[in-house]
Amino acid sequence: MSTTKKLGLREKYRLMTRGLGWETTYQPMDKVFPYQSFEGIKIHDWDKWEDPFRLTMDAYWKYQAEKDRKLYAILDAFNQHNGHLNISDARYVNSIKLFLQGITLSEYNAHRGFVHLGRQFRGVGPRVASQMQALDEIRHAQTQIHALSHYNKYFSGFHGFQGMYDRLWYLSVPKSYFEDALTAGPFEFLTAISFSFEYVLTNLIFMPFMSGAAYNGDMATVTFGFSAQSDEARHMTMGLEVIKFMAEQDPDNIPIIQRWMDKWFWRGYRMLVLVAMMMDYMLPKKVMSWSEAWEMYFEQAGGALFEDLARYGFRMPKYADVSVKEKDRYSHEAWAALYHYGAAAGLHTWIPTSEEMEWMAEKYPNSFEQFYKPRLDYWDEQQKAGKRMYCASLPQLCQVCQIPAWFTEPDDPTQLCHRETEYKGETYHFCSDGCCDIFKGEPEKYIQARLPTHQIYQGNCGGASIEEVLKWSGIEVGHDNLDYLGSDDQKNWERWKHQTAVEKKIA
Amino acid sequence: MIEIRTATIEPLRNTFDHVARVLGGDKPASRYLEGTLKLQSEANFNYQALWDKEHELYDPSRTAIEMADWYAFIDPRQFHYGSYTNARSRQQEAAESNFDFVEKRDLLRFVDDAARQKMARVLVPLRHYEWGANMNNSFIASFAYGSMLNIPATFHAMDRLGIAQYLTRIGLLLGGVETVDAGKDAWLNDPAWQGLRKVTEDLFVEKDWFEVFVAQNVVGDGLIYPLVYRHFVQDIGVQGSTVAMLTEFMSDWSDESSKWVDSVIRIAAAESEKNRQQLAIWYKKWKALTLAAVRPIATDLAGVSAETLQNIENALDARAKKLGLEIGGL
Amino acid sequence: MTVNALYPDYQGKVRDAESNFHGGRLLYVAWNRHLMFTNPFAYLVQPDMKFGDFVKTVMAPSFETHPDWAKIDWTKVTWHRKGESFAPDCSKTLKENGLAHKAAIQFSTPGLDGIGGLGI
Repeated sequence: MSTTKKLGLREKYRLMTRGLGWETTYQPMDKVFPYQSFEGIKIHDWDKWEDPFRLTMDAYWKYQAEKDRKLYAILDAFNQHNGHLNISDARYVNSIKLFLQGITLSEYNAHRGFVHLGRQFRGVGPRVASQMQALDEIRHAQTQIHALSHYNKYFSGFHGFQGMYDRLWYLSVPKSYFEDALTAGPFEFLTAISFSFEYVLTNLIFMPFMSGAAYNGDMATVTFGFSAQSDEARHMTMGLEVIKFMAEQDPDNIPIIQRWMDKWFWRGYRMLVLVAMMMDYMLPKKVMSWSEAWEMYFEQAGGALFEDLARYGFRMPKYADVSVKEKDRYSHEAWAALYHYGAAAGLHTWIPTSEEMEWMAEKYPNSFEQFYKPRLDYWDEQQKAGKRMYCASLPQLCQVCQIPAWFTEPDDPTQLCHRETEYKGETYHFCSDGCCDIFKGEPEKYIQARLPTHQIYQGNCGGASIEEVLKWSGIEVGHDNLDYLGSDDQKNWERWKHQTAVEKKIA
Repeated sequence: MIEIRTATIEPLRNTFDHVARVLGGDKPASRYLEGTLKLQSEANFNYQALWDKEHELYDPSRTAIEMADWYAFIDPRQFHYGSYTNARSRQQEAAESNFDFVEKRDLLRFVDDAARQKMARVLVPLRHYEWGANMNNSFIASFAYGSMLNIPATFHAMDRLGIAQYLTRIGLLLGGVETVDAGKDAWLNDPAWQGLRKVTEDLFVEKDWFEVFVAQNVVGDGLIYPLVYRHFVQDIGVQGSTVAMLTEFMSDWSDESSKWVDSVIRIAAAESEKNRQQLAIWYKKWKALTLAAVRPIATDLAGVSAETLQNIENALDARAKKLGLEIGGL
Repeated sequence: MTVNALYPDYQGKVRDAESNFHGGRLLYVAWNRHLMFTNPFAYLVQPDMKFGDFVKTVMAPSFETHPDWAKIDWTKVTWHRKGESFAPDCSKTLKENGLAHKAAIQFSTPGLDGIGGLGI
């Protein structure tokens, strides 16, 4: 029809999305969209929202189904041919255990946040964009489970991921992060997840895990990762549009958003410590160091982004400078802590090989040999003498990020960093100024933090003994935890590799 | 190529712990179950929501329906994202070739003005009904307890957006942007549509997501879909074949997705007498309201007889009864 | 600052009030320049426990795996709390020493600087 042809793409998409909505009259709009104003964000004209992408549902179904057909074809082949035997080394598998334990159900949480916004945003444009992201997040959670389902059949540490997310101590870090965003208002959720997480920090999850998988021969993870990439590109575009839209609506929005950027940068950065540790220690074949990744993806890319956003009056998130000071120690402090709590982890830990330590010395010339190698060497000696370090004392946790307070003073890597404050007669402790500031911004929220250490002492975690708590947390004691050396994973791996070698000879 | 004999690489287990518990043992599990079971957190929530004083972040008490196990709601279609998009992608391919066929041959040319207007008057305002259904299912998806319900509810919400977009395309085919605008004007101002718009808006402010499920997916669609995509499309006569082509997606979708809708009601009703009664109360309440709202659309716009509408109502009652609802008067 | 919520007077539950610990209370301890213990430890203690007993029966099992522990001269140990020095009396209870619920203390062992003198 001639009339149809005259319609531009943009107009047509508007007709297909925001044209569907209407101002309600039988019920007041404020009752239909009750969450719109309490955060103080002022929106004068929802129509100014620029659709970050234009996908009608028929096109969405078509493209996404195509991608999924390819993905599942590869996964089927991977499973059929025991693709797990092609990875670099069985230690690698621990990085994807961490992924399944910490990220997959977080994707589901993100889904719930977006589906909520997909109903509750007053503007139809952002509502449709949120709905599509909600649907994508289901995809991510499910394809991750499906890709790693095969590993679950052959390795420890995957089987209990569902129960672990609500119970295992270190998973309270991502869990509380997402619950913090989900319990916030709609605009803060978008600033937290769409902007701070998807736009500013997502490369620091995507690159280490997906390139890490590629370097280490894990085709299943590579495949779901790269298949998710085009979805992520849409999510990132939305993240930037969200900020620009809010900023352009009213100057009063700027300080509110800046506060959220500060908070969610620091929240996200702290959560990424798990990724830092995975990059530097858990990949047998390294992609790049955490320090290099932070320089490339945050200092350079993030720096350019905030220069661009300066025209709205935004500045770099508070304590970005601390993150730069910490980049030479971030992964080392985390891995040491996990190693020393290796009896209480849902994955294996180990002392890096001497080649790996050489790599670290090269990547961290100003810190590794001075501060971290001697500790690893000492533990290595102890382990060889039959005294593998397994710390049984519960850690003090940060009230906000919930990470054990293992971080050191920004200007002194030998001194633990400790901040405390009082609120309504109670004392609260923090790992950093960043977390302490977040608490002071909304103390009534963070006093509710469910810190695993305290929950154990209150008797809410299955019992008083460490073994009971671990069992309650979903860990099979003696199988999922402890050192890689002597683990089921190691024994099975060596048996399979031996068998494969024999068969190769026969063939 | 090295073929590794699978006998030498025995799996240690077949599925995840939480899936094995549901299956009653460690057995190979479908992608549907592994991808759908228990993705939602159930305990140890940290913070009270800033937007809800009364409930935990995920809370089963957001509905009056009570279930011992919120994972009893197996989707008969067993949709996970991959199989869902695959199914819809096939349907959209068929829809696309139908639209192509109609456009290329300019088939609407053979439809006389009166019929064309009638089609526009009935079908185009329905894009807003679908958008309302999208909002209501997004609401269900955001508050339903558990991933077993929330995931298919999300699919259902997106389906409604898709259908609203197909209806928009039909509007454009029938008369361009003007026709689409006229449809919106009718939805907003034409007395015949006001009842349905009021029911839709009233649902936007309901708090119990299961009640919204009954009102929208059982009652609303249970009346609108047979009325429009079966009777109206058939009754419009020879010219209806073109409309039937353009609305094939909707009728196929309704046949398929109502299996899921029915399963949700059947399972909730079978759980307890209390649920059964609650569902029947909602059903009766919303059927009375929706039926009154649909009547002028049926008679004044679609030209569907009172008798046909009665048949549609009877069929819906029979369906509800079969699902376990005690609705009386049958 | 107050929390900006949809409803007035957003109030959180104090999750870790002392009353939730069944008569015990929390005490956090860190050993300065001994990062073999990567973070401070959290202990559930009885307020009427003597400070000396706390060191011997609660802290020792945590820290004694470190070779420095056995070498500590307790007369030279310095304690800190909230950035200020703190002088606990070993014969008095934790409560009498002013260690309220969730107090955090650090101790330094002059002359003992960790493995290889590196603060480990």
